[in-house]
Amino acid sequence: MATVARQGGLGGKVPPQDQGASGGRPPGPTQPRRHSFAVWRWAILLITGVFFLIPLYAGLRFAGLKAFGKVFTYPGFGSAVGLSLRLAVITTILTLVLMVPTTVYVHLRLPQIRRSMEGITILPIVIPPIVLIIGVLKVAPGFLLGTPYLLALVYVILAMPFAYRSLDAGLRAFDLKTMVEASNSLGAGWPTTLWRVVLPNIRTAMLSATVLTVALVLGEFTMASLALYVTFPVWIVQFEQNAGPVTTAASLLALFVTWILLMLIVTVGGRSARKRGGAQVSLFTVAAPAESSQTMGEPE
Amino acid sequence: MTTNTAGNAAAADGTRQAGPTGGTSVSLQNLSRSFGTIRALDGLSLEIAPGELVALLGPSGCGKTTALRIVAGFESADTGLVLVDGKDISSVSAARRDMGMVFQSYSLFPNMNTLDNVAFGLRMRKQGSAQRRKRAGELLDMVGLAEQAQQYPHQLSGGQQQRVALARALAIEPRVLLLDEPLSALDAKVRLQLREQIRTLQQQLGTTTLFVTHDQEEALSMADRVGVMRQGRLEQIAAPDVLYDDPATVFVAEFVGAMNRIPAELQASVNPRTVAVLASTVPVKDQEAPENQNESGVGGDGPVDVLVRPEGLTMQVVENGNGIVTHRTFLGSVTRVRVMLSGDVAVQIDKPSSEAAALAPGTSVSVTLPPEPVLIAPRRPVTP
Repeated sequence: MATVARQGGLGGKVPPQDQGASGGRPPGPTQPRRHSFAVWRWAILLITGVFFLIPLYAGLRFAGLKAFGKVFTYPGFGSAVGLSLRLAVITTILTLVLMVPTTVYVHLRLPQIRRSMEGITILPIVIPPIVLIIGVLKVAPGFLLGTPYLLALVYVILAMPFAYRSLDAGLRAFDLKTMVEASNSLGAGWPTTLWRVVLPNIRTAMLSATVLTVALVLGEFTMASLALYVTFPVWIVQFEQNAGPVTTAASLLALFVTWILLMLIVTVGGRSARKRGGAQVSLFTVAAPAESSQTMGEPE
Repeated sequence: MTTNTAGNAAAADGTRQAGPTGGTSVSLQNLSRSFGTIRALDGLSLEIAPGELVALLGPSGCGKTTALRIVAGFESADTGLVLVDGKDISSVSAARRDMGMVFQSYSLFPNMNTLDNVAFGLRMRKQGSAQRRKRAGELLDMVGLAEQAQQYPHQLSGGQQQRVALARALAIEPRVLLLDEPLSALDAKVRLQLREQIRTLQQQLGTTTLFVTHDQEEALSMADRVGVMRQGRLEQIAAPDVLYDDPATVFVAEFVGAMNRIPAELQASVNPRTVAVLASTVPVKDQEAPENQNESGVGGDGPVDVLVRPEGLTMQVVENGNGIVTHRTFLGSVTRVRVMLSGDVAVQIDKPSSEAAALAPGTSVSVTLPPEPVLIAPRRPVTP
């Protein structure tokens, strides 16, 4: 898969029109190499697929189809799922409210710190969970202490690496500075520019950040367990001892629901992007449309 | 001399007082702007008459885009004023300046179709939906893109996108139209069409326009006056023909169009001053070139370079002349002939293509200078 070098992204697909001269080059002597590359690619895909699918199949066999029906009637299921969903909604809102303006501001006014931001936003992955929990407890407002919603603050931090990368890729896929200036010159103030010009053009990136955040919250176990709150993953582990098939069915259900959400984002976001010629978004990458990322000539 | 140097009003030099009545005047007064240690603008002053199209021309880094961005409100000047119709707008935000801008890069909003892009500024001005759609449609019609009203920017070519951007900028009936190298990304043919279209529309509407470009052909063909900038200052601002025929400084002379440098001897003691060049003596033009006045070799007798355009030299085929033809370049109606003069001085001379057939490489020619006043510059080492 070709990558978009100018974005420094995580391997976004190049739209056909973006491939320039190389797109029309006859294959010539490179054909055999490409062919062997394709074979390897399929082989790796197959091995990876087997690696992921066998445990799922085993889980399905172990749980049996009846267990799926029982999941919804088990004690604590409703409250655990409800808490996880509430946390997912709160976390997503907080994440977007914090990260969208921050990322836009960094792109517009402080582009020189973008690299530092990438480093900072990855910290939650390397910092041990217990340190994060204690850190959040130190700064959390009093009314949140003792409530499960404290977890939302932790999850905002945990979601930061994914949300920042999605939004960063979305903003890099179009010429933000020129768009904002064009909007201003036409009489739009900041709120209007953000609402009518910036947000619609990073909608898919926001959607991508949302799904990643939701997926993270629905699947997070360590923090919730440390904080002694029964979220959906904690509930699964609690019941695993005496109701293995049911909790396995619950895990599979959670996986399928999350997977369907991810597929929805790629399909809906991709269709919308294609229609408007905007960024082509996969979960982690956004490939620029050919014309929008061009900056011609040097600023003076 | 009819040239108009920095800070002089357009009215003062008799250049065009363009456009219909009611246009907007713009005055940049002593603008300075630094970015760190780089001084992008160094006391720039410029007057633009109502309805006039002024082009700022200069090499990269000369400050022309900075000047435009200060007028647009995207940058602020460290010192100096921007007056529009006599009122200082330095503290007015970009959104409230009523200036239409066409950018160098494609700037259409990707999430809106062509019609909505053009209508965006009208929406910001709280115009009703029907009214703004009608107006946007008219503007699209004006730029010849009425049929593309429902298309999204990615479905348009580069030239079409810039035409939509122009329509969008004009839709708000801006007090001033700002063009930031809007043609630089386009191919030659589209560029030519679009520059004619921009000029026609600008003249029809009488919108005061500031146009920044590094393409001198664009500037000379479109603008009422062209300002040549260097190092944050305006070297000269004048009508295109004046700028070409009567450059005020050596920089302008060499930046605009092709120019030959021929070694000569200045005779400053005679009045008016003359130079001995190519075995003849010709008078020296009055020059406003501060660069020349302080440099040795120009103030008094001594070696200088004479600056003369390719069409300013005459050439005849003779035995044992003072030059040998080394190269010919066909340019259509004229052919540019490169001649090596004695002393390893290369000059370019334009001849009608119909007469250039006899000037094959190796032909001996006699190159002479008509007795017209010439521009001189400090002597520069010869680079054949």
